[in-house]
Amino acid sequence: MQVNIEKIENIYIFSLEGNLDSNTSGDLEKKLIPAIDPNNTKFILDFSALHYISSAGLRVLLGAAKKLNQFGGKLILCSVKPDIKEVFEIAGLLPIFPIVDDPEAAAQKILQ
Amino acid sequence: MKTAIEITIKNRIPEIEHVCDAVAEFSRKHNVADKIIFTLHLAIDEILTNIISYGYSDPNEHIINICYSLQKDYLQLKIIDDSNPYDPAAAPEPDVEASLEDRKIGGLGIYLIKNMMDDIKYSSESGKNTLVLTKKCDYT
Repeated sequence: MQVNIEKIENIYIFSLEGNLDSNTSGDLEKKLIPAIDPNNTKFILDFSALHYISSAGLRVLLGAAKKLNQFGGKLILCSVKPDIKEVFEIAGLLPIFPIVDDPEAAAQKILQ
Repeated sequence: MKTAIEITIKNRIPEIEHVCDAVAEFSRKHNVADKIIFTLHLAIDEILTNIISYGYSDPNEHIINICYSLQKDYLQLKIIDDSNPYDPAAAPEPDVEASLEDRKIGGLGIYLIKNMMDDIKYSSESGKNTLVLTKKCDYT
């Protein structure tokens, strides 16, 4: 899996490419969790090139959401493929992770 | 045309990908829908990750055998290993309605598979675990 990180003003955008599973989730964890601090609390995860997610990937995202919650931050997912969205739905994670159609909608939502 | 494949791996996380790739390639050849291939990927990944991460009391090399077969109107994954006996079908279900702060990730992988596959059967005999997962499927 590839993780591309961009920071536009005070918003971090992580674009994930490939499979987020037990083999690759550690890599995302190392990049995402330390990036969250009281001054960096707005995160967009772009899933347009993500093909697969397992519970190991969900674990990292939950960890990020919990850390962000401490600082009143936000994490928005965008461009999520239907199969991946179904995983979030079954796991009961849709109320925790807002999912929007594209990065523009994510940027709008995060600035609200 | 062949209707089953067998894959043998060692108990190492990076080997899981080979199983997923082989099952996906075989499925595509048999016109199995992408949505079902995604579900099979998840089932293989979650089960093998559990076995490899938590199943062994020693650090030694172990062999895991995976048989994937296409039956008339369903697909079957059979996973045979010599890890400690564990029935994932009997695992306690996580609370998927808990708030963020109370949310635990343990058991979520198995919960996903239980909801996405049609049947999971576990048996243990002479130190070997056999897990059979089935998914109903029409393919041509």
